[in-house]
Parts: sequence; structure tokens; C-alpha cells
Amino acid sequence: LATAAPFILPSLIGVLVFLVVPVVIVLVLSFYQWNFLSPPHFTGFANFATMTRNYHVFHALETTAFYVLWNIPVQTVIALGLAVLLNRAMPAMGFFRALYVLPYMATPVAMAVVWGWVFNSQYGLINQLLSGVGVHGPDWLGSTTTALPVVAMVNTWQYAGYNMLFFLAGMQTIPPGLYEAAAIDGASAFRRFTSITLPLLSPTLLFVLVTDVIGSFQVFDTVYVMTQGGPGTSTTVINYQIYSTAFRNFDVGSASAISLLLFGVILVVTFVQFRIFRNRTTYEVS
Amino acid sequence: MKALRYTAFYACLALIGAVFVTPYLLALFGAFKSQADLFASSPWSPPHSFYTGNFRTILFSDDFLRYLGNTALVTAVLTAGQVCFGVTAAYAFARLEFPGRDALFALYLATLMVPNVVTLVPLYTMMRQFHLTNTYWAIVLPFVLGSPYTIFLMRQYFRSLPSEVFAAARVDGCSEWRILTRILIPMGKPIIITATIIAFVFGWNNFLWPLIVTDSTSMQVLTVSTAALQSSFSDQWNLVLAASLVSLVPLLLFFITFQKHIVRSVQLSGVNR
Repeated sequence: LATAAPFILPSLIGVLVFLVVPVVIVLVLSFYQWNFLSPPHFTGFANFATMTRNYHVFHALETTAFYVLWNIPVQTVIALGLAVLLNRAMPAMGFFRALYVLPYMATPVAMAVVWGWVFNSQYGLINQLLSGVGVHGPDWLGSTTTALPVVAMVNTWQYAGYNMLFFLAGMQTIPPGLYEAAAIDGASAFRRFTSITLPLLSPTLLFVLVTDVIGSFQVFDTVYVMTQGGPGTSTTVINYQIYSTAFRNFDVGSASAISLLLFGVILVVTFVQFRIFRNRTTYEVS
Repeated sequence: MKALRYTAFYACLALIGAVFVTPYLLALFGAFKSQADLFASSPWSPPHSFYTGNFRTILFSDDFLRYLGNTALVTAVLTAGQVCFGVTAAYAFARLEFPGRDALFALYLATLMVPNVVTLVPLYTMMRQFHLTNTYWAIVLPFVLGSPYTIFLMRQYFRSLPSEVFAAARVDGCSEWRILTRILIPMGKPIIITATIIAFVFGWNNFLWPLIVTDSTSMQVLTVSTAALQSSFSDQWNLVLAASLVSLVPLLLFFITFQKHIVRSVQLSGVNR
């Protein structure tokens, strides 16, 4: 113990003080009414009770769910497609792989600014191109129907290549003999993908889906920069709702209660994904 | 026929690549145009003359030089701390025997499930309590002592190293510190680089926490000041794009320099799960 203590201690202090204690504090705060300044006032379950009746909270959860649905399926399919394209022994594959991963490093705040420019209704690239073919483009970020998909698309753009790397790594562990055998049996390329690649990638798929969904449920930066939750409340995702409840309305108790709700939702969604994947058929390859 | 398919394949790859590169190019083009020029020309046309006025305004009048310095400082401290304390913790979890080790490690893993936003209000409350808001301390303190995620990644890797080497070193009377510096760090280099990249990108891109915990411009980091500039000068796209380039370019250079390591390290972080 004496030898291990100095190795562990700094990170242990970090985990206890900055992760464990805050979770306890958030639990406690959710039973209080507080505005950061005046003394906290114990209100029992009142914050949770008002939360269940609060239209904004459920609207924000719904918006977050739509964001996840706009983002995750498209992003995962694109990532898989890119991996299939690049998973071959041809020249310059490494170059294209690096090129596609590039956006992963981009600062989300800065990239959100740039995408705001791309989708600018008057001068932006998209609408300038559209007007070139005689189409009057919509005010992408100013319309309640298009703002959320556009914000979701930015995330898809940023992480599709990053997820491709995981699929590529997964594909490279599949024994080539399987494909050769299937080809001899006359299986089409599509059939080989659905019957060999996809099932054998399912651990990678689970990893990618679980981490992406958790991340997507907590989207904040792009929303803050591109739409400030608007127009109206059409892009007010749950994280943005928590931020404005705590740091704009100074309703600390409610913000704590909502963040516990988000925690619960993420746990349930993650659990469901693990269950779905456990029930899928997987092959044992050795 | 074969040559045609070959060309079509690479044309397709290049087209996809263009989608990933275009926003960077548009930012670059826009940042080097004056406002009049920006609104008069197409977004995809390169600037006629490289107009540097936007950068002069941003860096000197708007103090982005200071924000750049703040971000660099905060990122450097955060990365150094996360890597040093992370390596030692991961080493202890992977290679040392001590009572309560597995329970402690389970605690670290459990914290991985806590969404960031849950700790936001309590952390802010704590920083206020200790009068640390609006300081460098407040920005780095919650993250500098190590991240459970990278500790987990490094521990998995360290466990996969051949144990004979460590046993032999102990028989030879090596202290744990010597084993750490002479054996573990050289052998664990790939995963330590991975942890460094993760910490660096996290520190550089961090937004929500610095946004909450700083309120004076002198303590602002790039992300916060870029967002602030964008909301106050939303029609001066030339300035806003120049500001976003100030945060994007250093990471771009970082990526180009360490491209091979980054690609490999992303894959390492997935395979280890």
C-alpha cells in the first residue's frame, strides 16, 4: 500500500473531489430551491414534481431524441461505407483515411461558426450554389424545420471519419479466408457484407453506437454557437436546457433535477443498446 | 475498363474528401477577405489579395492573442497533469498489488458513466465556495488530476505488456519509480501518446466549463471568446471566420504533424475496450 499510494493519490483525489462529491452534491441540490446567492431552501421532491409538469423539459428531451435520430443512423452508415471503401490494399488509402479523420480534431465551437457561414441564408455556400441553379434556398438556421437537422449534420460531418477508423480496425481483424470461402460459394459482395462483415463487426458497432449516443445526448457547443437553442425552442436540447436553467434563470434545484433525469435517460438507453446487441447472433471465429 | 473503374474509385474518394475539407477552405478564404470583398464575392472564390486586416483586428484590438495564450497555457497544464497522474495511476492499477485495488478501479469505471453536465452545477458551486471562479485554477483543476477514461485505456494496455520484464526488474532490485520510468514508459509509449492526444484535444476544445467558470475577458479561452465575438458581431463574417481560424489552425498543424500517431491512437482507444 505504501508503494502504491503516491501513484494513485493524485488521480484518486481528482476522482473523489471532482466526480464523486459533485454527484452527491447534485443529488442534494435537487431537493433544494437555490439561486447560488440566498441560502438554499429545502423543498423535498418539489423540483421533480415541477419537472414532470414542465413542458420545456419534455420538449427538450424530445428535441434531443430527434437530434440523436438525425445524427446517429446517418453518421454510422456513412462511417461504415467509408470503412468499406478504404478497407483495401490500394495506393493512397492512408492518405484518404487521414483526410476523412481530419474534422475529428476541429474545435466544435469554431467549426460551428464556420458551418453557420456555410448555411448563411444570404451569402452562404449552400444557398449561393442553390441560387446558381435557380433555387431560392431556405433560411436554414432560422427555420424551425431545418435548424435541428443542420446542427445534427455538423456533428455527422465531424465524427463520421472518426468512427470509420473503429470500423476499419474491426474489419482488419476479420480473417480473409471467410471472404474467400464465401466468394467460392457464390455469395455476392452485398451478401458477404451482410453475412460476414456486419455480424463480425457487432462488437465495434456496439462500442461506436454506445459512445456516440452518449455523446449526442450531451450536445451543447454547436447548439450554443449556431442557434442558441432557437429559433423558438426548436434546437433547445436537454443540455442547453440545463445550462439555461442553472446559469441564466439561476434555478439550481431544477437544473440539478433535470441533469439527474438526463443521467437516468442515458443509463437506460445504454442498457437497452447492450441488451439488443446481446440478443443478436454473433459468430465465434478462432 | 479497369483503368476507368480505378479512376472512378479515386474520383469518388477525392469527392468525399472535398466534403471534409471544404469548411476549412471556406473559413480560410473568408478570413483573408475584407468585409466588402466577402459580401461581393462568392464564398468559394479565393481572395484576390491576402487581406490581413481581420487578423490584425482580432489579434490586437480584440485581444485574441491573450485568449490564444490562455488556451495554450490551460491546455498545456491540463495535458501534462492528466498524462503524468494518469500514467502513475494506470501503472498502479495494472502492475501493483494493494488492498482495495479492484474496488477503487471499479469506482473509476463507474465515474465514466456520469455525463459531464451532471457535475457542472456542483463544480461551479465548489469553485465559488473556494473563491476560485475566474482563475486559471478553476479552468484546469477539475481535469488536471487525471481522467478516468485515459487511466482505463492505459491500464488495459499496461496489463497486456509481458509481465516477465517487470518481474525481472523487481528481482534485480529496481524501485517502482525506476520500473515506471525505465520500462513502463518506453514500452507503453503508443498508449501514452494516445492519452496525450485525447487530453490535448479535450483541453483545447473545452467550451462549456470555461464558459461558466470565467466571466472576465482576461481569463477567457479561445472557444469562449470566439462564441462571444460571433454573437456580438454576427454580421461581420470576415472577423468571425478569422477568429475561428485562430482556434482551428493550431489543431490542424498538430494533426498534420502527428497524423500517423493520431490515426493509430484512435484505433487503440477503440480496440482496448
